[in-house]
Amino acid sequence: MAKLGCVLVRVTVGALFVFAGATKAYDPGAFAVEIQRYQLVPWIVAALISVYLPWLEMLSGALLLLKRFERGALFLTTLLLVIFTLALASAMFRGLSIDCGCFGKAFTATGTTVPLLRNLLLLVFTGILWMEPR
Amino acid sequence: MRALRQALLILLAALIPAGLTAAFHPRRAAWTQDKLLPGEVELQTVLAWGSDVLWVDARSLKDYEAEHVPGAILLNLEDWEQLFPRFVDQWRPEQKVVVYCSSTSCELSHEVAERLKANGISPVYVLKGGWEAWKNRK
Repeated sequence: MAKLGCVLVRVTVGALFVFAGATKAYDPGAFAVEIQRYQLVPWIVAALISVYLPWLEMLSGALLLLKRFERGALFLTTLLLVIFTLALASAMFRGLSIDCGCFGKAFTATGTTVPLLRNLLLLVFTGILWMEPR
Repeated sequence: MRALRQALLILLAALIPAGLTAAFHPRRAAWTQDKLLPGEVELQTVLAWGSDVLWVDARSLKDYEAEHVPGAILLNLEDWEQLFPRFVDQWRPEQKVVVYCSSTSCELSHEVAERLKANGISPVYVLKGGWEAWKNRK
């Protein structure tokens, strides 16, 4: 039963990362604008992130699903979730009226609260995967 | 240690498609921000249009009361229901509507512009650079 739970958690986290990466990789220009709306980095950095991050998400998510380079993929998904959560919390704290941008243009008008809660849940999921017996 | 080593390999592997995206993706971001986003317009262009422009301030009432573009009317999402009828009173069909918020990175002007379009108002533009661009005009 616990093993099935871990499989479900792995599939959820891995598939979400692949999907999130794919939606952003489809339109990196739009993703760069989403990043810039957080007002955390200059435009050139947002543009560089917009071409790199989607592939990192897809690769990490796919490797997590395939159980290849598993620890590394889990490390990166956890690290990215922490960064995304901090960015969302910072946007909320500064009162920015922005969309999460987590899934490119696939979902808009998401605000920041729901994505923040979703990220926290995903962080719990990654915690479960870290504790999964080898 | 194994996790870090593997993570490093994944980070390096992601550089390959990222490099291809940066070089060839038709929708990649411009490296400089001179490019206008869809629906955006430069201040110089708006000024060249002359007086037949209806300015819309998408910021808060407090910011609007502090300073605004001369003749601009307040229309933000928080008080949309009260403010939209006032906007309609002032608006003439075919008049160009230019929405602005505080700066380049603020999203409100785009949201208000989208909502105006959804209500049948056209043409609607967003001022690139927002209020900051107006204040810094030469």
